[in-house]
Amino acid sequence: MNLHAIGLNHKSAPVEIREKLAFSASSIPIALSSFTQSFSSSETVILSTCNRVEIYGTSPDDCLNKESLLDFFSAFHGLPKEKFSEHMYHYQNLDAVKHLFFVTSSLDSLVVGESQILSQVKEAYMTAASQEATGSILNQLFQRALSVAKDIHTKTNISKGKVSISSVAVEFAVKIFKDFSDKTVFIIGAGEMCELVLKHLVEQGTKTAIVANRNYDKAQALADEYQGKAINYDSLEDYLPQADIIISSTSAPHYVIHTEHIKNAIKMRRGNPMLLIDIAVPRDINPEIARIDNVYLYNIDDLQTVVNQNIDEREKEFTQCQIIIDKEVEKFMAWFEELKIGPAIAQLRNHFHKIGEDELERLRPKLENIAHEEWEHIVYSVQRTINKILHKPAKVGKEKAKNGGGYKYVETIKNLFGIHHHDENKR
Amino acid sequence: MLDPVQYIFIATIVFYLLDSIWEIGSIFNPQKFHKVLANYFIIIGLCLHSAFLIIVSIQSGNLPISTLFESATFYLFLIVLISVAIKFTYRIPSITPFLMPIITGFSIAAIALVGNSLTLTYELKRFWQFAHIIPIFLGYSAFTVSFILSIMYLTQERQLKKKAFGPLFDSLPSLGTLDALMWKTITLGFPLLTIGLASGTIWAKTSNILGDLWYLDSKVLLGTLTWLIYAALLHLRLGASFHGTKVAFVTVIGFVIVVFTFIGPFFMGSKHAYVESSPMLKKEMQLEEIPIEDIPVEEEPLKEEPEKDVGFSNITL
Repeated sequence: MNLHAIGLNHKSAPVEIREKLAFSASSIPIALSSFTQSFSSSETVILSTCNRVEIYGTSPDDCLNKESLLDFFSAFHGLPKEKFSEHMYHYQNLDAVKHLFFVTSSLDSLVVGESQILSQVKEAYMTAASQEATGSILNQLFQRALSVAKDIHTKTNISKGKVSISSVAVEFAVKIFKDFSDKTVFIIGAGEMCELVLKHLVEQGTKTAIVANRNYDKAQALADEYQGKAINYDSLEDYLPQADIIISSTSAPHYVIHTEHIKNAIKMRRGNPMLLIDIAVPRDINPEIARIDNVYLYNIDDLQTVVNQNIDEREKEFTQCQIIIDKEVEKFMAWFEELKIGPAIAQLRNHFHKIGEDELERLRPKLENIAHEEWEHIVYSVQRTINKILHKPAKVGKEKAKNGGGYKYVETIKNLFGIHHHDENKR
Repeated sequence: MLDPVQYIFIATIVFYLLDSIWEIGSIFNPQKFHKVLANYFIIIGLCLHSAFLIIVSIQSGNLPISTLFESATFYLFLIVLISVAIKFTYRIPSITPFLMPIITGFSIAAIALVGNSLTLTYELKRFWQFAHIIPIFLGYSAFTVSFILSIMYLTQERQLKKKAFGPLFDSLPSLGTLDALMWKTITLGFPLLTIGLASGTIWAKTSNILGDLWYLDSKVLLGTLTWLIYAALLHLRLGASFHGTKVAFVTVIGFVIVVFTFIGPFFMGSKHAYVESSPMLKKEMQLEEIPIEDIPVEEEPLKEEPEKDVGFSNITL
């Protein structure tokens, strides 16, 4: 009985491979049932996101291994193994548990600390559970993974601080303005980044947007999308006083917004603060503007610096997270070992008692005249001997199980006496 | 020496101190200094503080403002109360890390006043107490809170302007929120101060307690200066483009004047302030022969211990 994790992610495989092996939301239930059919009495969870495709599985016998799992991928997606096998990683037991905990805690994510993966893992697990593809082992494993991830998010700073340019820009807005519903965003130029910031601000409650672009149609298109207003690029100056937040990303080779513009604007606004975000290179907004009272100006470098700092901060938390994970992995493995040790010891006992019974059966005809009472003594004596022999190994096995490593110990004993899984399973 | 009731105030300070440590600690190490615990400290501190003031009031049969020590603790209590109300109503947990160390410091300083025999110069009539002193105390407390808010504003503004984001950046609210609250506390404090000053003026006029030249009393002058500063601030904010940073600066100046008004006159020998109850003074006062009923005072009130039959009290603690 082993735990397996097999899959690929953004680090191990290019997107061309990942997309071929991805499971769509609708194909996951089919894949789950096909998995449980191919590997009898197995448990499985399939996790498929844009950055990773992973299958977690366990089965009481040894039918699961790297090859059989690769075959499953190959068969399900109709893709020869050779095309993708070099990009796949495969972990067992402790490593598999550790990997899942890392993934769920978003330590293995493209953007470390983003919490989306937590909900993705949860969903993958719920889907599998609703299909009855999971059993006691994977239920336990995934519930622990989710709680470890939550623990890590609350106890460490791994998900603290924004790590994208647009979210940092919005963070500044949130620290300057109280309420966004009466705020006006002025977009100059209509780049992708502008749109992203605008989208985040609309999520914060901004209702009014003004868009100016050299190309009026482009401005109109963006304005329409957010129920905003497109204006003529040349009348840009007239609209500045209305704007609480200005995001500029034109390709102009010179400054588009000058100090005088903003001085006038702030006067007309009676000192109400303005936030200017300049994501253009070369810059659109004269940096001198930052000196004006109640005006806050950030350029792309300022935003990038904050992003980098936040990423650094998150990475500093890595060790802390690792400590928590290691502890939890150990706890889970102890539980897992204990779970396995019971049947393993029973198997050991049965094996020895079978030998004893066989021997007694062979002996019985040879002692034709023995009294019933005497025979009972012999049987009793044999059983006692076996129990005495087994007492110590069983006890040590249980103890070892508590500290981890019990399973390996019992496996060794079983190997020593040539006991096989299959006998037990059949029974 | 402290009397047993005052140990309640000592206990209050202990909780305020613990709260200050926890509030500041939680900025740097939220795991170790849990915010929930900080909330317990401040609430327990506030309860002890109110218990102390209630007991003092019951004992003296008057508001806890008869000595400089009592009025200081009363004033501190109002500040903590207003801040805790703001903290929980507006969800601004970061107000307490700024406030509590100051409160703790002031409370410890207030202990130094315990042995001080300064008491109010005149017996106050109950009506004037409510019309004059309560509004002014509340007004001063509101201004103090607005001072704390402006410090928070200036801290946050600095971080945003200098692009240097410290550990406080996350927990401090937006400039807009702080600006709105500064405005709220000032507009709360201003009418209260106005009422207090107006009733004080009427009182001084009608009762002649501060003499004919009552308007030259240092506390009256400082009170008027405070009023003018905040009046100017209101005008500038409503009329001119006075926003954010400038408002915060003026609020800080206003607060300095408030503190000075509160304790300054004591050093300047104002009649209106707290007076050393020396036999000489007592005599002097008696010479004036003002019957109790007529004695009013302008800003600080006084308290009355039953045995006092003169216009100014000489209670020592």
